[in-house]
Amino acid sequence: MRMVSLTVNGAAVSREVEDCMLLVEFLREELGLTGTHVGCDTTQCGCCVVHLDGVSAKSCTVLVLQAEGAEVTTIEGLARDGELHPLQRAFREHHGLQCGFCTPGQIMAGAELIETYPGRLDEHAVREEMEGNLCRCTGYHNIVKAILAAAEEMKPGMVSEQR
Amino acid sequence: MDVLKSLRAIGQPLRRKEDQRLITGRGRFTDDFSLAGQAWAVMLRSPHPHAAIRGIDGSAALAMPGVLGVFSGADALADGLGEIPHNPVPSTRFDVKLTGRGGTPVYIGEHLLLPVDRARYVGEPVAMVVAETRQLALTAAEAVMVDFEPLPWVAETAASAEPDAPRLWDALADNILVDATFGDVAGTDAAFGAAAHVVTMTARIGRVTGVPMEPRAAIGEFDAQTGRYTLYAGSGGAVRQKHELAKVLGVEPARVRVISHDVGGNFGTRNRAYVEFGLVMWASRRLGRPVKFRADRSESFLTDYQGRDLISEVSLALDAEGKFLALRASNLSNVGARCVSLSPLSKGSGLITGSYDIPVATLRSRATFSNTMPTQAYRSSGRPEVTFTIERLIDKAAHELGYDRLDLRRRNLIAPSQMPYTNAVGSQYDSGEYEKNMDRLLEIGDWAGIEARRREARSRGKLLGVGFANYVESSIGSPKERADVIVRQNTVEIVIGTQPAGQGHETSFAQVAADLLGVPFEQVNITLGDTDVVSAGGGTHSGRSMRHASTVIALAVSDLIDKAKVLAADAFHVAPQLVEFEEGVFGTPATNRSLDWFELAAQARAKDPAGLRVRRDNEMHTPVFPNGSCMCEIEIDPETGGLEIIRYSTVDDVGRCINPMIVHGQTHGGIAQGVGQALWESFVIDPDSGQPLAGSFTDYAMPRSDNLPSFNAEIAEVISPTNPFGIKAGGEGGTTPALAVIMSAVEDALAEYGPIDIDMPATPLKIWTAIQTAREAAEETAKSELVA
Amino acid sequence: MYPFIYHRPTNLAEAKRLFRTATDASFLSGGHTLLPALKQRLAAPSDLVDLWGMAELQGIALSGGRLTIGGGMVHAAVAASEIVRAHIPVLAGLAGSIGDRHVRHRGTIGGSVANNDPAADYPSAVLALDGTILTDRRRIAADDYFSGLYETAREPDEIVTAIEFPVPLSAGYAKFRNAASRYALAAVFVARTISGVRLAVTGAGASGVFRPAVFEAALNADFRPEALDDVTIDPDALLSDTAATAAYRANLVKVLARRAVARQGVVQIFK
Repeated sequence: MRMVSLTVNGAAVSREVEDCMLLVEFLREELGLTGTHVGCDTTQCGCCVVHLDGVSAKSCTVLVLQAEGAEVTTIEGLARDGELHPLQRAFREHHGLQCGFCTPGQIMAGAELIETYPGRLDEHAVREEMEGNLCRCTGYHNIVKAILAAAEEMKPGMVSEQR
Repeated sequence: MDVLKSLRAIGQPLRRKEDQRLITGRGRFTDDFSLAGQAWAVMLRSPHPHAAIRGIDGSAALAMPGVLGVFSGADALADGLGEIPHNPVPSTRFDVKLTGRGGTPVYIGEHLLLPVDRARYVGEPVAMVVAETRQLALTAAEAVMVDFEPLPWVAETAASAEPDAPRLWDALADNILVDATFGDVAGTDAAFGAAAHVVTMTARIGRVTGVPMEPRAAIGEFDAQTGRYTLYAGSGGAVRQKHELAKVLGVEPARVRVISHDVGGNFGTRNRAYVEFGLVMWASRRLGRPVKFRADRSESFLTDYQGRDLISEVSLALDAEGKFLALRASNLSNVGARCVSLSPLSKGSGLITGSYDIPVATLRSRATFSNTMPTQAYRSSGRPEVTFTIERLIDKAAHELGYDRLDLRRRNLIAPSQMPYTNAVGSQYDSGEYEKNMDRLLEIGDWAGIEARRREARSRGKLLGVGFANYVESSIGSPKERADVIVRQNTVEIVIGTQPAGQGHETSFAQVAADLLGVPFEQVNITLGDTDVVSAGGGTHSGRSMRHASTVIALAVSDLIDKAKVLAADAFHVAPQLVEFEEGVFGTPATNRSLDWFELAAQARAKDPAGLRVRRDNEMHTPVFPNGSCMCEIEIDPETGGLEIIRYSTVDDVGRCINPMIVHGQTHGGIAQGVGQALWESFVIDPDSGQPLAGSFTDYAMPRSDNLPSFNAEIAEVISPTNPFGIKAGGEGGTTPALAVIMSAVEDALAEYGPIDIDMPATPLKIWTAIQTAREAAEETAKSELVA
Repeated sequence: MYPFIYHRPTNLAEAKRLFRTATDASFLSGGHTLLPALKQRLAAPSDLVDLWGMAELQGIALSGGRLTIGGGMVHAAVAASEIVRAHIPVLAGLAGSIGDRHVRHRGTIGGSVANNDPAADYPSAVLALDGTILTDRRRIAADDYFSGLYETAREPDEIVTAIEFPVPLSAGYAKFRNAASRYALAAVFVARTISGVRLAVTGAGASGVFRPAVFEAALNADFRPEALDDVTIDPDALLSDTAATAAYRANLVKVLARRAVARQGVVQIFK
C-alpha cells in the first residue's frame, strides 16, 4: 500500500492504494465516482474513457499510481457550475444514448475529440476517431450527430460537409 | 374512454427524462451499488465442453486468507436449492405450440444453480468461491481442485441432432427435445406435386451473442431478521425473476425483493435469470453478509445466454407465372446444453411464409441440445432467421427462374385487402400495407439510380451490390401487465412492470399517461424495477412493452377518472354523472367550479392516506405484426474481399408511433445488431477441441462507428386494430430484415462470379475466397472448353 | 491481477538498478500491452518499473538526415509532430493509425518496439526504413533486432531509449485491419532508402515482421506496382487463423505492397 495524490474533477485527493489498483477502480471504489464504467477486460470498449492531463485515456489500462500528480476529469466533472457541457446537451438533444452504459465514455471521448482535433470534423472523421468507443444500443448514428452538433456549437466552422 | 382524443405528447420526439442522470454519470447500474460488509463471489467454470464431475476439493482454497467459502452443486442441493423454472415453451395463446416427438412435453434439462453430475458446456460454473475481495476470490478459485472426467462432446448444430451424437441428457434417447410438425402436410405435398417450379435452399444462421455493454452483475443480501432476500441485478423483468428465484430458494415470493435500476442493454440476454443471481443470495444467507458478483467481459462472452443458431431447409413451389403455391421448411434450432427458452424457434415458426401470400405450408420444427452455452431470445428472437430464409429463397427463385427479384415479390405480397391475414402456419397478421412500404422504400433508397452508381463504383475498382428484403415480424410477449397510477402532490406516478434497458420507457410511457391524464409530460414520472414497489408485470421482451403498457395505463387512467369523478362530485355537491373531465380538469356544467388532479388528490389524502390512486391489471393475447421493407448498398473490393456499407434505407410500420426519436434510435441499434451478425459476429467454436474461440473483443468483431453508415430510416404508421392506441412495436424491425438484406447485397455485388455460397458472417476472407473459387472454376471451364 | 510492487524511477540508471534487483520485473511504458495481460492473469511479474514520462526517453529531433524519436513518445505525439510530418509523413500517419485515439494517447514507440507484437505497425516501419534501435547500452540495426514472434535482440534489462530513422526518398504504408482486434491482418511498409527499396511485412509473418527478398528485388529493378505481378509469397511462411488463412494473407501482402508502391507518401487503411 502507498499514498497516491492526484486531482480529480478539480479537487485534490490523496488515498492509500494497492500498487495494482487501476485508475478506474480508484475512481469507482475509492472516490465513489461510479459514472466511469467497466465494459470489457481487453481495453477495447471505451466505456472507461476519462480525461488524463487533458487527453482521453482508458482508465482501465492506467494504474492509479501512474496518475500520481495528474489531473483527471470524469463524466461527473464535465459540467461546470451546474451547466452541462455542450456535448452532454447534444447527446440528449440528438438521442445519442439509450441504456446509458457506454455514454460517459462516449461523451468524454467526444468532448476531447472536439477540443483537440486539428482541423475540420466531418462525419467520416468522427466515425474514424470514435472507433474506440463501442455502443450496442444506438448503432452510432445519433452519437455521430451529437458530436457534430456540439462541435459546431463549440467551434463554429469546425464541421464541414462530407462528400 | 377515447384514448385518441387529445394527442399532444404522443407522437412527439420529446427528449428523454432518463438522460439527465445518464449523461452526468449518475446512472445506477448494478455494479455501481456496494453494500456494507459485502464479500465477493467468483465462479469456477468448466474448461471442458462435456465432463462428469467426480469431485470438488476446496480445501486449499479455504485455507487461504480472506476466503469465506467454497460452494458446490452438492452443497446447494443439500441446502434445498431447486431448479430455475425457466418455462421455455412460449405459452401465450398465439405462440406456436412446440412439443417433443409425438406430441410429448418438451424435456428441457434441469437447471440447478450449480450442476451435480456434469458440466455440459465450456464455462458452465461448477463451484462458487467467496472471499473478502474479488482478487482474493479469483486467486482462491485457482486453487480449487475439480476432478473432471471428460466425456464425448458435440457442438455443431447438425451433428448434435444426429441419432448417434454424444448425448447430453439421459432422459432422452438423443439430443432432440422438440420435434413437431405444423401446417397442412397433405395440401403442401399436393401443391408441390402440381408445381411448375420448385426452388430449394439450406439457410445457416450461426451463433452470436448479445454483448450488452454492461456485463452482468448481482448483489445478494439476506436479512436474517426479516428472512428476506434482496437481489440487485439488471434483468429483463424484475418481477419474473423474483418469482423464479423464490422458487429456487424455496421461499414465498414475498420474501424476495429484486431491484433492477439502470440496465446496460438487454437484447434478450437478461430475459432469464442467471445462476449467479441465486448463488449470491444463497451465499449471503450462508455467510451472514452481502455477496457481490460481477462478470468479466470474457465471462459474458462465454456465459451470457446466446442467440440464434438455426439451420433451415426450405423449398418453395411456384406456378408458371411465378405465383407462390406452397412452402416446406424444416428448422433445427440449437438450444445449447439445456433449454432456457424456445422463443426463437417458436416465433420463427409462426412467420416462415413472411410477407407473402403462400396458401399452404408445412413446417417441421426441431430443437437439439449441444455442448454449448444455452441460447434464448436475442433481438427479434427467431424472426431475422426466418426472414433471411424466405427472402433469400425468393432471391434464389428469381435468379433461377429469370424473374426480377422485386417483381417476383410484388406479385406475391399480401395485399391490404387481405388483412387481417392468417398465414399458412396460423399466424394472423393484424394490419399492414406491404406494397406501399416497398414503393416508399425504393423511393427513399433511390433504387432507380443503382445502375449509374454501380458503373461509378466499378470505375474505382469496386463491386457495388444492392440488397432488398421485405419483412413481417411478430410481437407477442407476456400477456399480463399491471399499472398503478398515483396522484401525488404535483406529480403523477405510474408504477409499471416493464424493464427497459435503453428503450426510454420513462419517457414514452409518460407521454401516453400525460395525454390521457391531461397533465404536462414533465409532471408524470414512471417507476420501474423494484419489486417492492412493482408488484406485477411482464418485463420487456419481444416488443411487448409499449403496447401492453399503454393499454393498461389507459385502462388504469379510465378507472382513475371514474374515481376522481366521485371525489369531485362530492366536492361539487352534484351527482357523479354530472361531473365532466376535460384536459386534466374536473368540472360540472352547473357551476364554474373546477378541480384538477392535484387538488382532488389533496382532498382524497385528507380522508385517507392512500390518496387518489388506482391499480389495474390487463391481459392481452392478440399479437401484432410490425413490418417493412429494407434496402442496402455495399461496395466490395474484389482484391481484398473488404466490404463497405454505403447506404442503408428502411421503411418500418410500427403502428402508432409514440416517440419517433426513440423509435428511430431502436431502428438504428437493431440494424447494427443485424448487420453485425451478417458481416462480423460469430461465436466460433473450435471443431477439434470444442473450445469457444471468440472470447473477447479481440476475436469477436463488433459494429463500430467506423464500419457503419448513417441510416435512412422512415416510419410508417398503419394503425393496428388490436389495442386502443393502435401500436405495433418498433424495437426489433431494424434487425429483422438485416441478415437478408446484407447477404442479398453481397450476392448482387458478386453476381458476375456466378452462384456463390457464403455463410454469415460474410467476412473479407470468405468473400475473397469465394471470388477465388469462382475464378478458378471459370478458368477450369474455359480450359476444358479450349481443349474441347 | 497478481500483486506486484510498482516503481517510478526518475532516470534510466535508477530504472535499471530497480529492474536488476527485483525477482522478476517488467518494464511498464504506455501499459496498453502489459496491463491487459496482467489483468487477465497471463503474467505475474514481481515488480513493475514504470518508464512512463521519463525525461531521458522524450524528444523528437532531426539531425544529419536522421530522425530520432525518444522511446517514451506516445503515438499521438509522433502523429502530430511537425518534424515527423515534414520528413517522414508516412511514419506520422502510421503512428496515427495505431489502435484507437485513446490508445494513441498512452502507447509508446519504445514499448511497441520492445514488445514486437507480430501484428504491430511500428516494427514494419523500423525494418523498412532501416532504422536503428538505441538502447541504454548500444545501437542495434533493425535487421539485427527483430528476431521472431515477440522476440527481439533486447536483453531483459535493456531499455529502448530511442529509434533512429534515416529519412527515406519516399515511403508508403498500406494496412488491412482485423475487424475485431483492429490490428493488421497484413500490412506492408515500402521505403525507397538510400540503399535501395526495403519492404517490410507485419501482421502476416509466422515469425513476426519480415522483409520478403523477392519483393524487394523486383521493386529495386522496377519501382512500379506492376513489377510485383509475378511475385508471390510462400503461404507456409505466413500465419493462419480464423480471421485469415495463410493463402488470404499471401494475397493481402501482394495487394497491399502494390498499393503502397502505387501511392507513396500516404498511409492507406483498408478493412
